[in-house]
Amino acid sequence: MLLVLSEEHKEHLGFLSEVDSAVVGEFGRIAVEFLKKGSNPKIFEGAARKLSVPAESVQHGVEGLMYLLTESAKLMVSEGDFQDSVLVLGFSEELNQLLLQLYLENRKEIRQILGKLAPSLPHYHNLEWRLDVQLSSRALRQQLKPSVTLKLVLEDGPSLRARVLQTDPSTLQHLIQELERALAELKSSHCRRVLRNIK
Amino acid sequence: MELSESVMKGLQTLADPNVFDLKSYTIFTELVFDSLVSPRCESVLGHPELKYIDQTTLKHCHTAATTFILEGVKQNADKSTISSCLEDARFQIERVDLLYTSLQKNKTNLEYLLSSIDTCPPHITDAAWRLEYCIKNSHLHKVNQPSYLISLNTERGGASSEINFSCTMEQLQDLVGKMKDAAKSLERASQS
Repeated sequence: MLLVLSEEHKEHLGFLSEVDSAVVGEFGRIAVEFLKKGSNPKIFEGAARKLSVPAESVQHGVEGLMYLLTESAKLMVSEGDFQDSVLVLGFSEELNQLLLQLYLENRKEIRQILGKLAPSLPHYHNLEWRLDVQLSSRALRQQLKPSVTLKLVLEDGPSLRARVLQTDPSTLQHLIQELERALAELKSSHCRRVLRNIK
Repeated sequence: MELSESVMKGLQTLADPNVFDLKSYTIFTELVFDSLVSPRCESVLGHPELKYIDQTTLKHCHTAATTFILEGVKQNADKSTISSCLEDARFQIERVDLLYTSLQKNKTNLEYLLSSIDTCPPHITDAAWRLEYCIKNSHLHKVNQPSYLISLNTERGGASSEINFSCTMEQLQDLVGKMKDAAKSLERASQS
């Protein structure tokens, strides 16, 4: 799948052909850094002063790279398609190779970052358990009631949230059976066929 | 078994043949047990066979008898404790036996009732699941990852609710593995 670059995007990236390839390499490093940790506009001014160009040009160049990398990673553009896509920018062969390396080296990590943005429910994080035997309570003395206390830790966005739950031995067995059925379903021919055909 | 003065007085009235003849006593005790184990049963008040007894007295005896029964079950009192307590309230042997037999008959249900009065974390009763295959989302294409949506049904104090969360296959394996560990430990603990 080829990447379609807008005129504005091409114009912003055009700045890269005016500077040294070492500078482009540095911009690439900054773009990846910003994608991982968030952007820091102060860097634009510093770089602009050194290169004696307007800060806006540096910002457009770096943001253009960030957009190029995220879009390519989002669509999982192949190596060949990436090369064909950046051809329209009219860069030198050296610069094209540099961009390709930048893309290939960081694709996996950028996809991971993008994956976190997808809307999702609280996620399973951990389960801790404890066995208890209830011996007595205010309403009833002399009991022997086995129970399993479960602490289910769910990951909801950036925060972890623990829920304390309880169940009895026979329900625990039932839960295990039911969830094992869920796992087995993934190995069924129906699921395997779907997984094989949607690639 | 420690009982308050009011309960003792109520039991004494219940033991008095001049207030309750044996037939009324039998009907009364049956109704008392029914009122504890099945919430929507006939009331002792206004029962045709007990109409001739003063309603205030009847109410007092009903409170005393239920308190006595629940206290006995709560402490898992044996026959001699029950008997001596009732004999203190001047119950005849026949009446003691009648009450004790009914108590034995209803004991399991009453224990269940009392054990349900408890503060505990939400109790998991069932689990439902859904298997999905995520193809793409607004931020990422070609995701192609299976994922599970798990819904745990829980109950607390008669109110039920759900806990929903998603997990990958590996995470579900982890969850099941840990539950199996717990089940194994439980089995070992029950055998030792």
